[in-house]
Amino acid sequence: MGYLHLSITELHELLKKGEVTPLDLVKEAIDKMKADNNNAFEYIMEKEALEQASLLTKCEEDNPLWGIPFGIKDNYSTKDVPTCGSSDILKGYVPIFSSEVYQRLINKHAIPVAKTTLDELAMGGSGTTGHLGKTYNPWDKSHKHQVGGSSCGSAAMVSAGIVPFSIGSDTGDSVRKPASYNALVGFKPSWGRISRFGLFPFATSLDHVAYFTRNVEDSAILLNVLAGRDDKDSSSSFKEVEDYTLNLNKDVKGKKLAVIKEIVDSIDNKDIINAFNSSVEKLRASGVIIDYVHMDLSLLKAIYPAYIVISCAEATSNNANLDGIKFGQREDGDTYQEVIMKTRTNGFSELIRRRFIIGSYSLLKENQNELFLRAQKARRLIVNATNDILKEYDGIYCPASPSVAPLFVGSSDKLSNEYLIADNYLAIGNFAGLPSITIPLGFSEKLPFGVNLTCKAFEESNTFNLASKIEEVIGIKNIIAKEGE
Amino acid sequence: MPFEAVIGLEIHVEMKTKSKMFSSGPVSFGDLPNTKINPVDMAFPGTMPVVNKQAVINAIRVSHALNMTIDHELWFDRKNYFYSDLPKGYQITQQFRPIGSLGYLDIKTAEGLKRIRVERLHMEEDTCKQLHSWDCSLLDYNRAGIPLIEIVSMPDMRNGEEAMKYVEKIRSIVTFLDVSDGKMEEGSLRCDVNISIREAGSDKFGTKVEIKNLNSIANIQKAIDFEMKRQEQVILSGGVVTQETRRFDEASKETVLMRVKTDSVDYKYFTDPNLPPIRLSDEFVDEAIRTSPELADSKYKRYESLGLSEYDINQLLQDCGISSYFDEALKSGASPKLLANWVIVDVQAILNKEDISIKEFKISPLHLGELVKIIEEGKVSNKQAREIFTEMLKIDESPNELMKKMGTSMISDEEAIKAMVNEVIDANPQSVIDYKNGKDRAVGFLVGQIMKKSQGKVNPALTNKLVVEELKRR
Amino acid sequence: MKKVNKDVLKEAANKLMFDMSDEQYDTLLEEFDIITKQMVLISEIPGVDDAEPMTFPFDVSTTFLREDVPVEPLPREEALKNAKDVVDGQVRLPKVVG
Repeated sequence: MGYLHLSITELHELLKKGEVTPLDLVKEAIDKMKADNNNAFEYIMEKEALEQASLLTKCEEDNPLWGIPFGIKDNYSTKDVPTCGSSDILKGYVPIFSSEVYQRLINKHAIPVAKTTLDELAMGGSGTTGHLGKTYNPWDKSHKHQVGGSSCGSAAMVSAGIVPFSIGSDTGDSVRKPASYNALVGFKPSWGRISRFGLFPFATSLDHVAYFTRNVEDSAILLNVLAGRDDKDSSSSFKEVEDYTLNLNKDVKGKKLAVIKEIVDSIDNKDIINAFNSSVEKLRASGVIIDYVHMDLSLLKAIYPAYIVISCAEATSNNANLDGIKFGQREDGDTYQEVIMKTRTNGFSELIRRRFIIGSYSLLKENQNELFLRAQKARRLIVNATNDILKEYDGIYCPASPSVAPLFVGSSDKLSNEYLIADNYLAIGNFAGLPSITIPLGFSEKLPFGVNLTCKAFEESNTFNLASKIEEVIGIKNIIAKEGE
Repeated sequence: MPFEAVIGLEIHVEMKTKSKMFSSGPVSFGDLPNTKINPVDMAFPGTMPVVNKQAVINAIRVSHALNMTIDHELWFDRKNYFYSDLPKGYQITQQFRPIGSLGYLDIKTAEGLKRIRVERLHMEEDTCKQLHSWDCSLLDYNRAGIPLIEIVSMPDMRNGEEAMKYVEKIRSIVTFLDVSDGKMEEGSLRCDVNISIREAGSDKFGTKVEIKNLNSIANIQKAIDFEMKRQEQVILSGGVVTQETRRFDEASKETVLMRVKTDSVDYKYFTDPNLPPIRLSDEFVDEAIRTSPELADSKYKRYESLGLSEYDINQLLQDCGISSYFDEALKSGASPKLLANWVIVDVQAILNKEDISIKEFKISPLHLGELVKIIEEGKVSNKQAREIFTEMLKIDESPNELMKKMGTSMISDEEAIKAMVNEVIDANPQSVIDYKNGKDRAVGFLVGQIMKKSQGKVNPALTNKLVVEELKRR
Repeated sequence: MKKVNKDVLKEAANKLMFDMSDEQYDTLLEEFDIITKQMVLISEIPGVDDAEPMTFPFDVSTTFLREDVPVEPLPREEALKNAKDVVDGQVRLPKVVG
């Protein structure tokens, strides 16, 4: 069955021993991608990857990413490799520069093998709105269940065992939610910890570089490479970078976790609740102090609308550069207005256009106070409430999703009227820019679900320390979809 | 009933920094289209803005020169609108917290000093340049992202002259601070006029009309004078002034309607989430001010103390380059008065003749200073100095050297002159008699003869003295 | 706040330089109904309107300013290679008026 079901660390050992070469791995990845039927790829970098792999002969023993294939979401700028954000408006766009994340991985001789699908321009959570259509969940061969989004292709690729890690982006929960639906570890660090230069912006104040792995250690290894100041991104932090693998599996006795009662109470899936409760017991048994705390219901209910208003407002401005003039698709017209008008009307899906109007409307002078600014005020209250909890606790511990991957049928990308608290709360991590990680928790009708840990800003080390313990007590790691059947 | 105008100005100044406002793309003018671009300037997806330090220093210096309060925390906002020349679909500006606020500028008017209040100064970025041909428009992104300062005045001006003086003063400030070349003709300084009229003395405001594309300071005055009359006539003929945008037409010297303003555009301003607030330490701001180049006003005082006439000073301060050249030349120790005269008359004459700027002028300031010094020391006559000057225009050499080379130094050696004096007097016995009979012009005649004999190389004062002595002796 | 109706939304869409079909505007109207209701609930959160609007997740203020040093500009062909209509080194558009 090849090697790519293995973790980064396992593969690194084999590469060191010379039992496998980067070229073997890339060939395996390409074969698997061609055989894959989950619609996870915007572009398979066959030529580029084979070329790069063939250049890698001498294994760098102290570089765990050497020769490791990976996938990257198609909203990261990749020099000379087509990048369209799964949107028609950027069809045929070939970037002339590379995103910082992509460049850092290449500098470490990791090998990009695919640009992966996403909800169009990352504005969605179902993995259904990209211009190539639905991306499927490898755990459900019947293709009835969503894979989750917006980083759908990156999630599918790792859980299908094609690569040990892939890069996504997380603005509301776009990595941490699909991780839950795919038995993956999904991690986003503090806002500013990883440079976003070259990431197509959706909602700048909420956007994070994030990624999927199949275990916590691999996640920490990646942060070692990706974290750090970048002068090209003004929001990039100057905070010192640590070795995030140092605290893995360290003793957690006396660490304090808070479970937000209102979130857990809003979940009715028994399997999830049981698995969660037993994980709480096991953690307590290993010395972690876990308390159930309260968060004002009105604040929790404010997360979704505040998120919609803020993200759509920023998105409508962030995507105003897509006018067909300088790059991407361009329709003909007799006036420049007609050119832009036609290009944007045909280039964006209906959903995107609806979101843009909501955002733009919230920014109108006469609406700002009631919409955009009020949403930003609600954001402050939500963040304050969260940080109040984190003053007392090392982290917030809750199920990552209220259910397993939803069915395509009956799910819609329209704004919904029900307050699915547990379905939207992960955005807290984006509102407050906190390190947040989803870890596999269990299965319900053969479909996976995960648990989430969110910690204090720039306490990534502590996050991985606790996450590695959580992973250990739950005991689900390094698995790929086919085993779930 | 007499009318008065209420005039406010919005001035955009294009900075001459080395790189752009938010990108490391080079700033330069008059290059091949689209050869001075950084990915940020064309708004490629994923590019991000990073603030240029020098642009901030410039903004601080100009704010200080305009007596403004300087915000020690920089915030940037997005101005959202679609236009063919706007790559991002929004412009990064400082809507909510301009770096400079509430200052003033004193201008000299016929009635003396007048204080014009300045409402705000903020940094923003330029758009790309559009070249319109008969059937299409061509876009050049070299200009996209070049740093701009926008200076918004209060509606404190009452006529075209005041507006012109105000713009001249702003222009002088930004050029002397080396922030911009401030050329209206080339668009590095752009001025929009907001003007309404009302009964003199009234405190009500009339309907505002905006005048655009004024490409020279003179045109500002012309446009305003015309517009005042136009609005007067509209009102006197029982009409109402409509809120509209007009442009100044060079040929007819009239303002013509561009578009009637409907309800003002909603730019959906919001804080740019790409640019976290930047704290400016007191040290940073003070340093920017302390090291800022000398303004015309302070140079004026300095020149006064050097004893220069108001006329000379104004001549020197007309162009920041000229005054810097003068300041450099002063270091030679030459007398300011004479030096100023050479700069204003002789140097300026060459600049006009060859139609070049002082930067392209061949003679280095120190050499010019040296030349003026040897004149003062009597080593050369003015006539000779001009010969040397002409030579220096060909090769910028030390005038002392040239003087030797050309052998054009004055004879101040008494013996040599005495010899000539005797020769000439011997040759003109009549002049001795004339002198004895009290006809002093004999002296002038003799000196003239000696001058001719020496081809103007003898020191006139000395020669005169020796002639008189010799005549007395005979 | 501006009253939401089809015309208002159509105007908003056109200001954003695109259009939608009538059905799509209907869907959008439903969404506006939902979002505005939810925003009203937010307005009822105690103290919400006294809070400072939050743009950045935490205090991110910096002192960093980029040195004014230009870098090598893009080769012209590189800069323009993604533009669909290029004429002698410039991006062409239908004549822009007004």
